[in-house]
This record gives sequence, C-alpha cells and structure tokens, in this order.
Amino acid sequence: MIRIDRRLITHFDWTLLLLILLICGMALLNLYSASYPPKAWGMPPYLKQSYLFLMGFTAILFIISFDYNELIFWNYPFYVTIIGLLVFAFFMGQSAGGAQRWIDLGFFRLQPSEPAKLMLVITLSSYYARKEVINGYSLKQLLAPIVLTTIPFLLILMQPDLGTALMLAIIFISMTVFVKLRLSTYLTLGGAALFAVVFAWYKLLKPYQKQRVQTFLNPENDPMGHGYQIMQSKIAVGSGGKFGKGYLEGTQGHLHFLPERHTDFAFSVWCEEWGFFGSMFFLGIYFFMLLWGLRVAMHAKDRFGMLLAYGVTMLIFWQAIINILMVLGFLPVVGIPLPLVSYGGSSLLTTLLALGILMNVRMRRFQPGKGEEVDTD
Amino acid sequence: MQKERSFFKEIEEITEYDGSALDLLRPRLLLAAGIIIVFAALVFCRLWFLQISNNEEFLSKAYNNRVRVRELAAPRGHILDRNGVSLVTNRPSFNVLLVREDSGNEPSLMKRLAKVFDIDVARLWERIREAEHIPLHIPIQLQEDINWETLAYLENHKHEFPGIRIEVTPRRVYHYGDLAAHLIGYLGTISKRELMGSVEGEYSGRDKIGKMGLEKLRERDLRGEKGTSFAEVNARGFQQQLLKRVDPLPGRELHLTLDVKMQQVAEEIMNSEDKSGAVVALDVNTGRVLTLVSTPPIRLEEFIGGISQKNWDTYLNNIKKPLINKAVQGVYPPGSTYKMITALAGLEEGVIDLESVYYCPGYHAFGNRIYRCWKWSGHGAVNLTRAIAESCDVYFYQVGQLVGVDTLAEYAKKLGLGVKTGLEIEHEKAGLVPTKKWKRDRHNIKWQEGETLSIAIGQGYNLVTPLQITVMTAMLANGGKKYRPQIVEKVVNPNGEIVERFEPELIEELTGMDQHIRLIQEGMYEVVQGKRGTARIAKIEGLDIAGKTGTAQVVRLAQYKHLKEEDIPYKYRDHAWFTCYAPADKPEIAVTVLVEHGLHGSSGASPIAKAVLETYFADRLIAPEVAENKE
Repeated sequence: MIRIDRRLITHFDWTLLLLILLICGMALLNLYSASYPPKAWGMPPYLKQSYLFLMGFTAILFIISFDYNELIFWNYPFYVTIIGLLVFAFFMGQSAGGAQRWIDLGFFRLQPSEPAKLMLVITLSSYYARKEVINGYSLKQLLAPIVLTTIPFLLILMQPDLGTALMLAIIFISMTVFVKLRLSTYLTLGGAALFAVVFAWYKLLKPYQKQRVQTFLNPENDPMGHGYQIMQSKIAVGSGGKFGKGYLEGTQGHLHFLPERHTDFAFSVWCEEWGFFGSMFFLGIYFFMLLWGLRVAMHAKDRFGMLLAYGVTMLIFWQAIINILMVLGFLPVVGIPLPLVSYGGSSLLTTLLALGILMNVRMRRFQPGKGEEVDTD
Repeated sequence: MQKERSFFKEIEEITEYDGSALDLLRPRLLLAAGIIIVFAALVFCRLWFLQISNNEEFLSKAYNNRVRVRELAAPRGHILDRNGVSLVTNRPSFNVLLVREDSGNEPSLMKRLAKVFDIDVARLWERIREAEHIPLHIPIQLQEDINWETLAYLENHKHEFPGIRIEVTPRRVYHYGDLAAHLIGYLGTISKRELMGSVEGEYSGRDKIGKMGLEKLRERDLRGEKGTSFAEVNARGFQQQLLKRVDPLPGRELHLTLDVKMQQVAEEIMNSEDKSGAVVALDVNTGRVLTLVSTPPIRLEEFIGGISQKNWDTYLNNIKKPLINKAVQGVYPPGSTYKMITALAGLEEGVIDLESVYYCPGYHAFGNRIYRCWKWSGHGAVNLTRAIAESCDVYFYQVGQLVGVDTLAEYAKKLGLGVKTGLEIEHEKAGLVPTKKWKRDRHNIKWQEGETLSIAIGQGYNLVTPLQITVMTAMLANGGKKYRPQIVEKVVNPNGEIVERFEPELIEELTGMDQHIRLIQEGMYEVVQGKRGTARIAKIEGLDIAGKTGTAQVVRLAQYKHLKEEDIPYKYRDHAWFTCYAPADKPEIAVTVLVEHGLHGSSGASPIAKAVLETYFADRLIAPEVAENKE
C-alpha cells in the first residue's frame, strides 16, 4: 500500500509536460525530414528516437515517483557510477571522430559524458544545498565542488571532447555564481580561469580543437573545412526566408550540403524548411520552457529543489543556446547537441531525466506536512 | 546522511526550510531569466538578419549549391561537296570531366582513374595544374574520347568516382581522311586569347574552335548554338534530377563547290607519286573552286585535340613543307605559263601580230650576254601560235624587250598576277610582279634591260601562286572575265533554310581584247592538240584541251647546268607547271598543276591535269562511245 499525497497529482506540472511533448513532436517531425529519404537498411533515426522518447517518459514517471530530496542520498553512488563509466569509456569505449566516447550497450550506445552533465548538476545542487553560506562561499569552501567538477571535466577533456568538457565548466560556473561567492573568491577564481584558458590554448588543446576556434574566428580562410559546415548551415537557415522551403523540401539538408544534419545541425534543417516564423514558433516554445524551468525554481520549497530546478534549466539552456548560436554562425563547431532535438540517445535520455527532476520539484513545491494525504492501493 | 556528514567534516547543518535564505536567491533567478531573454533576443535578431534581411543572398547561394548549369555542345555543321557528299560530319565523343569542388580525396581518385584510363597519373595531375586559375565548380577535362569499355566501367562504378562526370560532345569525323585538309582545316581547344576576343557567353574554356581553313573561317556558320541543362546535384556532385533543358542548335551545313572525285584523283596521283605541289581547278565561267590540292597533306587526326610537339617538329622539318597550302601560299616563278601575258602585251601594244615572225637560232644576244632558248638547236622561224605551242623563248625575249618590263607588269596584273585572288582562305599570297620602280624601291638598284628578258619568259623576280595562274588561264578561256574564286556553294540552316548561296563575283573584265585573246587561245590549243605542242601527252580522246606548260627555274647555278636531271639535288630541280582549260571551243574548266622540283611541265605536271579533266568530263567522254556502239 503506497501512500500518495493527493497534492502530487493536483500539483502535477501539466504545462511543462505539454511543452515537452510539443518540442518532442517538432523534434521527431524534423528528424524524419533530416534523415529523409530513409536508408534501405537499419532503423530510421526518427523511429529510434521515438522509442527513446518512450523510454525517456517512462524514466520521467519513475523519477517523479519519489521525492527529489532522496537524490541527496543517491547522489554519491550516482557520481561514482558516472565517473566509473567515463573511465571505462576512456579505456574500453568505442571511438568516433578520434574520441573515445561511447559504451556499446547493444540496443544503444551510451555516451557517459551526457549523463555526467546532469550528474554534475545534482552533485553541485546537493553540495550547495547542504552547505549553505549566507555571506558567500570562501575559496576553501569551494574546494570540494571544484574537485568534484574537475574529475569528470578532465576525463571528458581527455576523450577528447572539448565541447562537453566546457559544458561542465559552464554548469559549474552557473551554479557556483548563483549560490553567491565572496568578492575575494570571485577575483581568485577569475584569475585562475584566465590563466587556465591561456595555459590550455598553448599546452592542452589538440590541433583540431585550435583549428575549430581559429576557423570560427576567420571562416573565409577555410571554406572547404570547418568553415564549410558553418557556411552551409548559414546558407540553409538564410535561404529559409520568411516561411521556409516547406517540409521535406529543404535543399541544403536533403542534398547533403548540410553536415550532421540530424545531430548537431538539426535546428538548421528546421530553419530551412519552416522559415523565420517556424523558427520563431519553435524558439518561442523552447525558451518558454526554459523560463518555466526558472519559475519552477522560483517556487521550489527548499534550497535543494531550487538549485536542482535552476541547474537543470541552465544545463538545457546553455546547451541549447550554444548549439543554436553555432548553427547560426555565431560560435565555432563544438559538438554540443540541441537538447530534445538533436538525434542521440544519451543526450535525449539525459535531458528527459533532467526535465523529470524539474517536474518532480514542481510537484513537491508544497510545504511538507501541510497537505492532505490519501491512501491508495 | 551520517556518512556524508563525516566525509565533509566542515559541512554545516542543512537548514530545514529557511524562507529568508531562499528569498535571497530569488532575485538571482530573475537575473538568470534576464540572461535567457537577452540570448533569445540575440537569436531573434540573428534569425531576422539571416532569414529576412539577407534571404536573397542565401537563397542564391543555396541555388548555386544545388543547381549545376551545364553547357550542351552543339553538333558542328557538316561539310559537304558540291554533289552533297559528306566530307566531314560528327560522332559522339565521351569525355571524362572532373568537378574539383565535388571530388573528395583527389590523390586516390587520380590514381584509380589513371588505372582506368591506362595512362600515367602525372598526366592527370598536369590537367589539374593547368586549371589552377579556373574556379573549383567549373569542370575540367581529364580525358577525351574514351572507348566503350572505359565508359561502361566508369558508368557502372560511378559512385566510386565522386566529382567525375561523363560528357558527350560531338567530335569530327573525316569521311575522306585528309582530303582537302588544307582547305577544311581542323579544330582545337580554344586559346585564352580567342576566349578573350569572343562575345561573352559564346565560348567557354574547353570549347573546340576552328583553328585553320574553313573550320576557322566559317566558325560562325559551323558552330551552332550551345544548349543548357539545369540539373540538381547533391553535395557529392551526383545528379538528382533534371530541372530544365534547352537543346543545342546544330551548326549550319557547309556545301562546298569542291568536287570530291576530282579532288581525290588529284590527291591520289600527287601522293602516290610522292609529289609535292598543288592542283587547282576552277569553273571558268563562275569562279567555283572544283579542286584545290596541296601536297604533301597534313594528317587532320594528328591535329585534333592539339598536335604533339613531336608531330609538329616532323611537319616543320619536312623539306616538302606540308604545313603550307601550296595552292595559295606557295609562290613560284611562273615559267613559260607567263608567255601568254607577254603575248597579250605584245599584241595589245601593237608590237606583234599573228603575222610577226622571229627567227630562233637557239639563243638571243642582248647586250654582252647570250640568252638561251630552252631548245638549244633553235626553233627556226616562229610565229605567235608556234611560239606558244613550242614555247620558244627567243620569240618572247624579243617581244618582252620591245614592250618593256613595266608594260609586261601591267598586263600581268590585268590577268590576275601580283594581287590576291580573294579566295576565302587564310594567308593567301599575292606573289610578285616586278617593275622598275619596285626594283628601285626594294633593292635600290636600277633595272637592267636584260632582266626584262627573263621576266618575259616567266623567270627572274616573277612569283605567282598556282591559284593565280588558274585564274589567268580561266580569264584567257572565258575571254577576259576575272571571277573571284569561291569555295562555298551554299550554307544551309538545320531547318533546311538556305542562308547563303553561291553568286559569281565578277571582279574585272578585259574589254576589247577578244581578238587577241583568241589568238593566244589558238596557241594554247596547239600546245596540247598540235603535232609539235609541248603537252601532247595530256591529250584526251574526245576532248579538246588548250594549255601551256612551264618550267620554273629554281637556281641557275652553272655547276648543275650540265648534270643529268636525275642527278641534280632535289631542292635545286626546276618546278614543273601545266595550266589548261577545256573544252577548247566552249571552255568550262581551268586546271593548273604545279609540281615542286618536277622538272618539266609536260612530263611532270600535265598528266595530273589530264586525270583531273578525265574525271570532270567522265560522263561526256563515255557517252560518245556508247552512242557509237548503239549505231
């Protein structure tokens, strides 16, 4: 006999669910076009992605069934597992594009760096929730979060996957700045970061990574290489015009001028086929979902819930905005997917889990002990 | 929870619910929302910029990405003879093109292609290097005219050759080999200079253009109009669908005045006897060119697609100079064929008449020199008819001496020497008709009267082309009408419409000379038909021919004078001339033969003219026999 608080049902976040379903619907529609015409063999990506959506929603159901505060306890086993998977992927994983990123699970290939992002959000939320400092954190108090971030950061950087590693750094910064630091901490960390960037540029970055940045800064120098991808993406988006070329009518995508059209450049396909107004509609819903996430954080009942909701929202936001700005030619090609839209199981499941946590926080926004409790079978 | 607490020793108590602490963080959430909105606005502006403001630019870029505009070569106009026999037509040639923008890994691609073509890979790279200045999306030609096997292989494995395309272009077929090669000319890839000089859009880099002869002169008629196809391609350059196609318009048919059979006969004899020289046949009443031969021939196949350096050198070093069209570019002393001019000048100037008789002892003394007649034993007493028939030099020495060099030059010019005939051909030579003034201007030396004697018998400074001599003969045959020689009978559009038709072009007419011309005709009649004529061997049963032989001295070196003819080195032997017209009573055709270093007009040149005439009159020569048999 499970006792379920009735408020869990009355407080269920139907708006968020609707937003997610809308975005997922558009994503599947787009994916069908981005992988059109279907190949003669293998499962078409849109179908595979549909199954993953179903899996993801099942996971959401699972995750909202218990209180998010349980995560404070589950956090460390989760953390250790992810680190283990990253290490495993580094030594035994499959390579793609020169990077050791994948673990083959048979039905799908897990990219542990994706759940690592969510894991970091939970870990940092959990740490900052437990250790509350009103006057701002000192450097010493930040030692643990820095270490907890650096371990997966380095593991992912060594794969090498610069984009995802930077994503971890961005999550760390977003969350740490949010919980308030001392001025001295800001200065010290800022100086260290600057040093790290300079050091990384000269000592750490692989030539291809440097080239990507350089290409971004001066795309005309390399029209057939990395600049080519950005150029083709801009052409795809720009040629969409006001109303787009029509569904399944995008020439840039279907004639393969657009690279990675169902993964990193999926949004480009959408822009080409649906035009300015279609893109506005999609972005409107997407950004509304993000703002809704912040609203969830705003109404969270406790510090952990707020940090989780905020962290999860920023996780999705930063990935989305980096991907979109890359597609629109504002950022270098970094290999960050557009959450929910880019094809890829690890990213999709991670994002849906993150959104599940968001729903969880929303559902349990009421004060404990103040609501009615209902018995059910 | 206990565990963690011991792990992070300095962790403080988790606040159960601290409303004030949460309220402190809430403004930060608003700040985060602000950041999200700012980024959203940035994306909005960027999308506006790309999709609304610059939509047209990107639309055209997308269009250029996917649409390949290809030129469709127009079949070049056919070239036919006067009876509609095809001389030059087209066949499809399959060429392999490379679009460098679409080809992936070029080194491996080139290696595989070289294997398919069975050539050295360096040659492919050379083609690519040559095209360095051409934009990447413009196809370059790797191999021309591949065979069926190669074609089939490439078509079946086209997915292994990204960026490779097969193009079908018309290629010239020469049905009669090198027949009239100098006249027809050949095609070659358009040069940079020709491309610059053409109207924008008419030609592109790999086009073939007429480089010589009628192919060059009639380029406008023969080229036709290119078609265009608009095809959609994917990023690897493979065609997806045809969007639009404008068919090419074939070039116009060029019907020549040339007679294939006569041309063939003339070329065969010249070539089989390994003779270097020219044969020209004109319709005396219209100026139509029926035959125009220059030997040795050029091999057209060697010129298609650019002649190799080795072949070119062979041509250049050949002492028989095959690259020169000897019918219009070769200039020679006219030899005794000039004597008609001397005769006409003498008659017109009243120096001689039919009754005038000179005695030929075999030489003529003038000043302190002896001028020899070709017949050392002498002709005895000769009148005009005999002088022409037996080509007596002494007779013409005296006539020439009496009229003077400038008057001779005047009549030479009237009969078409010293000026271009105006035939539609390149680099025609005007030859040279010397005058006193010319010598003063050219050599700054006073004219020697003795030189007039050499001029009077067609030696010395005189230089003429075989075509000019033919025009002269035609004028003597038709009573003094000078027609411009023409080679094009008609030009026909692909729809059958005739856009240009042959029209005789009378340049000049000698008036009031009929009587005197008739006297010269009589002499020329005796040359072939007479008992002692110099060209009796050219006689044809059933056809009266009038003509004149000639021998053009190449050198007058004493050391060769007394050698047997066969022992004189080839390049010092005399040129042989024979010019004639037929039928003698109602002239239709004039034929001239020049054989370089052929020694004697009678033996070296006249049999060839005879064969050409026999071909021309073939129907009429057989007819009387048939008629006789019936009786």
